[in-house]
Amino acid sequence: MDARYAGVARAELSEEAARSHSLAGLVGAEIAGWARGDAGISRHFGVPVSELIRPRLAVTGGLLLRSVLLGWALALCGALMASLARRTSFLWQVPATVLLAVPTAAMATVCLISGHGGPVLVMALLLAARDFKFLERALRTAWLEPHLLHGRAQGIGTRRLLVAHVVPALVPQLFALAGLSLVTALSALVPVEVIFNVPGLGELAWNAALNRDLPVLLAITVIMALAVTVSGMASSRSQEWKSA
Amino acid sequence: MRLKVPVLAVLIALVLAACAIVLAPGTSYALQDRDLPLAGSSVHHLAGTDALGRDRLTRVAAALLLSMAGSIAAAALTTAAAAGVGAMAAFAGEGVGWAAMLVCDVFLALPWLFLLMMVRSALPLNTSPGNSAEITFFVLAALGWPACARAVYRGALRLKSADWMLQARAGGLKRMQVIRHLLPNMLPLLVPQFLISVPAFVIAEANLGALGLGVGPPLPSWGGMLLELDNSAMLLQTRWVYFPVALLVAVLLLLEAVAVED
Repeated sequence: MDARYAGVARAELSEEAARSHSLAGLVGAEIAGWARGDAGISRHFGVPVSELIRPRLAVTGGLLLRSVLLGWALALCGALMASLARRTSFLWQVPATVLLAVPTAAMATVCLISGHGGPVLVMALLLAARDFKFLERALRTAWLEPHLLHGRAQGIGTRRLLVAHVVPALVPQLFALAGLSLVTALSALVPVEVIFNVPGLGELAWNAALNRDLPVLLAITVIMALAVTVSGMASSRSQEWKSA
Repeated sequence: MRLKVPVLAVLIALVLAACAIVLAPGTSYALQDRDLPLAGSSVHHLAGTDALGRDRLTRVAAALLLSMAGSIAAAALTTAAAAGVGAMAAFAGEGVGWAAMLVCDVFLALPWLFLLMMVRSALPLNTSPGNSAEITFFVLAALGWPACARAVYRGALRLKSADWMLQARAGGLKRMQVIRHLLPNMLPLLVPQFLISVPAFVIAEANLGALGLGVGPPLPSWGGMLLELDNSAMLLQTRWVYFPVALLVAVLLLLEAVAVED
């Protein structure tokens, strides 16, 4: 170690290096932190991790909720239009394909530079593009069901067929898609929050990664994993409830 | 299938062009021209230069090659791991299958980007750029196999109950002999998984790089070049900073056109 460092600094750096290299020590400290209920102490900020996470949960939760709702609305509208007017379905399919090929970070940066759109729009567009593909395929298959073809031939209105037959038949797939939407939204969370400077969990995780603050990163990863697991369980329970 | 051949031809042409640019004598992605930072298009620098005076076209070509090579290697690794785990889970008995799928589910519940950030932040500070590239793609491969393994498992279960498989086992074929016949039959499952993984890894590397957690400088990467867009002064000076993003989107569209189901 550089001899120009002060004695105290050298001692602290040695202690930190020893702590980082000891996996057992790291895991032990994390378990103790979770047992205390504060999820450990942040190495970078020197405060309990729970204090850092709590105010950001609402920010990230709000962003996720608004993005998922907007994304779903866009995807459903697009999928309905594309499945009903098949000749013009490419008008929806082309933008969806292009959006899927644009990295989230690039989309967010371009929105920021142009001054149009914010974090909710970027995440909603990404979700809409991904969900559109599933929904459009599901709806296209659903409209070809014999009873629906018969209903249309009999002159029953599209809205009535949608409400009475198409949507109820798609409910299991919609529940499964809801779980997937959360996973997609979480994967876009970090770049979007970092680029738009949103003080949420994604930005905290990015700061923690840059500052090698493993307790914070671990806590956020656990929270995200829990969110995915709970949403997956809720989606499968809803499917069971629907089919019961 | 009709669309795939010209798309593949365009992709191969792009890779060959990138090779020609990178291997041209007197060029290097790290070569700096201190007198020409942020220059526009010229005879010497067709796509201009970056803030350090490095030729943008050479850097984009090198980033394309690095990203393609890394993503293809990572996708091959992921597909091989998924084939191994999926086939083992399907053929090694119910207990092993259940345990393997449980591991897959646990991995699938973990948000990969956060895990990736955790692994990258745990690396030593003095990791070389080459090692950072290797580690980034290796970690992508290590985290990408579970979804693939689930698909392979379902396909392998169908193969297990196929008529030819039942006849082979009833006829007394040994396990290794069965596996030898199994692998060619699993190819229709594995090839789409491989093709889907390649663009997914290219996007993941670009997103990680844009967060400063991907391939380390001075090695060029898509993500590193996306970082240029953060510099508003640079955006005002030259429009060529958008060139890497445009090419990246084009490459991803081509890769997805190859991966799309017939």
